[in-house]
Amino acid sequence: MKGLLKNNLYATLSNGKVFSIIMVLLGFFVVVMDNKIPSLIIGYMLLGMIGFSLNSIASLRKESSTKWSKYKLTAPVKRSAIVQSYFLSLLLWLGVGMIFAGIGVTLSIMLHGFPFNRNTDIFMLFVAGIGISLFMAAIFFPLFYIGGEERNEVFLAISFLCSIGIVMGLTSFVQTLFPARMTTIQVILGGMIILGSALLIFILSCPLTVYVCHKKSY
Amino acid sequence: MEKILELQQVSKTFSKSNFTLDNVTFSLPYGSILGFVGENGAGKTTTIGCILNTIAKDSGTVKLFGKEMRDADTEMREKIGVVYDGDNFPAYWTAKQLSEVMDGLYTQWDNSLFQKYLEDFHLPVKQKIRHYSRGMTMKLAIAAALAHHPQLLVLDEATSGLDPIMRDEMLDVFLEFVQDENHSILLSSHITSDLEKIADYITFIHNGKLIMSVSKNDLVYNYAVLRCKESQFLALDPKDILAFRKRDFQIDVLVPNGKEAQKKYKDIVTDHVSVDEIMLLLVKGERV
Repeated sequence: MKGLLKNNLYATLSNGKVFSIIMVLLGFFVVVMDNKIPSLIIGYMLLGMIGFSLNSIASLRKESSTKWSKYKLTAPVKRSAIVQSYFLSLLLWLGVGMIFAGIGVTLSIMLHGFPFNRNTDIFMLFVAGIGISLFMAAIFFPLFYIGGEERNEVFLAISFLCSIGIVMGLTSFVQTLFPARMTTIQVILGGMIILGSALLIFILSCPLTVYVCHKKSY
Repeated sequence: MEKILELQQVSKTFSKSNFTLDNVTFSLPYGSILGFVGENGAGKTTTIGCILNTIAKDSGTVKLFGKEMRDADTEMREKIGVVYDGDNFPAYWTAKQLSEVMDGLYTQWDNSLFQKYLEDFHLPVKQKIRHYSRGMTMKLAIAAALAHHPQLLVLDEATSGLDPIMRDEMLDVFLEFVQDENHSILLSSHITSDLEKIADYITFIHNGKLIMSVSKNDLVYNYAVLRCKESQFLALDPKDILAFRKRDFQIDVLVPNGKEAQKKYKDIVTDHVSVDEIMLLLVKGERV
């Protein structure tokens, strides 16, 4: 697994560095700007979490342009470990995105005060970012193995749009569950439902992807 | 003789391309090199895929080190070194990063041996692989395949991108590798001169079917080609003919025992046969 994670890291590192620099510069801009209009900080937080996750997923295309995908199968690793390493790498990059989002919003609050209506809004932003990232990965990885490397970009777009749709759908579902002007507990509960669903689908997607990977010939 | 690799009736059909690997059977003894010859699309890479489990075979058995390899048999894959034709590794890596990844994959990864090969092959450690020439990427792949102390090397067209001098260097490396009698090499290639230099056994494949598997000594000392006129050809005993090919003014006939044929057909010119010529006769010629 160590070798596989290093492999995934090298695949994502150069784009990850560029994206980190962009995030630092954007973060500087977001922190310096007055946060009376919170859309900037909302955008920054979501961009951080979803952007780093996208970078992790998109790196699979870089690998598949060589025989490395086939070569890896001849190394002393199971196919399941290869798939699990992608899922784990995504979580690590999502973690990096969450750190950027966390630092950005903390500094903004420290400098300009709290920009949102309710305390739970920050929590819900994290829920949205994490949810979209996890749903996106859960949809993309099996599709990648089913459809092949050449359809990578299409699958990336499909999984990204679907994940936004699912999170929006789940948000609507939560809003129908609880009456208007939700209490803090209800907001947190709603967030947990979205987060739990995303995590469940993400976890279930892993054995499904392993199954598809086992069927694939190189 | 104990076998490091044994294929029994291995078959695989690709419905989309209509290609079938048809009951391929051959074996590779310990301490030897098997040259796997065939034209492009003959089924060499498919066979190697079935051996290494990158392709799921439809039927048959492949035994490595005496047992069938499943996905879970990672310790078995520790003992196999692989080189594919072309880009084996991501272009954005450096040799140093390759070593770090391999170190995490193979428990027996020997970084000092890898560094030695990099020095011997004049490969820059910090340069990205995308800046390597084709020959350099092949040498890097060979170095990586050897640096985890494998027992079996599977080389799929591994020498095809190399110039004659580099190829000769690599062939020496392969010969040194099989000095250990527990080591073996399966070398797929269509550069038959390489196989003539180093292979102990040569296996021919054509259209997914195994057409011949012989020891090189047998090939060099026994197999021969008779240069016949039409009347001489008609007088040949069909049992003696493996394959024949009509040329402008003569018919070339491949026979399994040149010395016997020379005694039997005194008026026919008998020549030694190269691997290239055998391949042409078997692939383009006709059978009796």
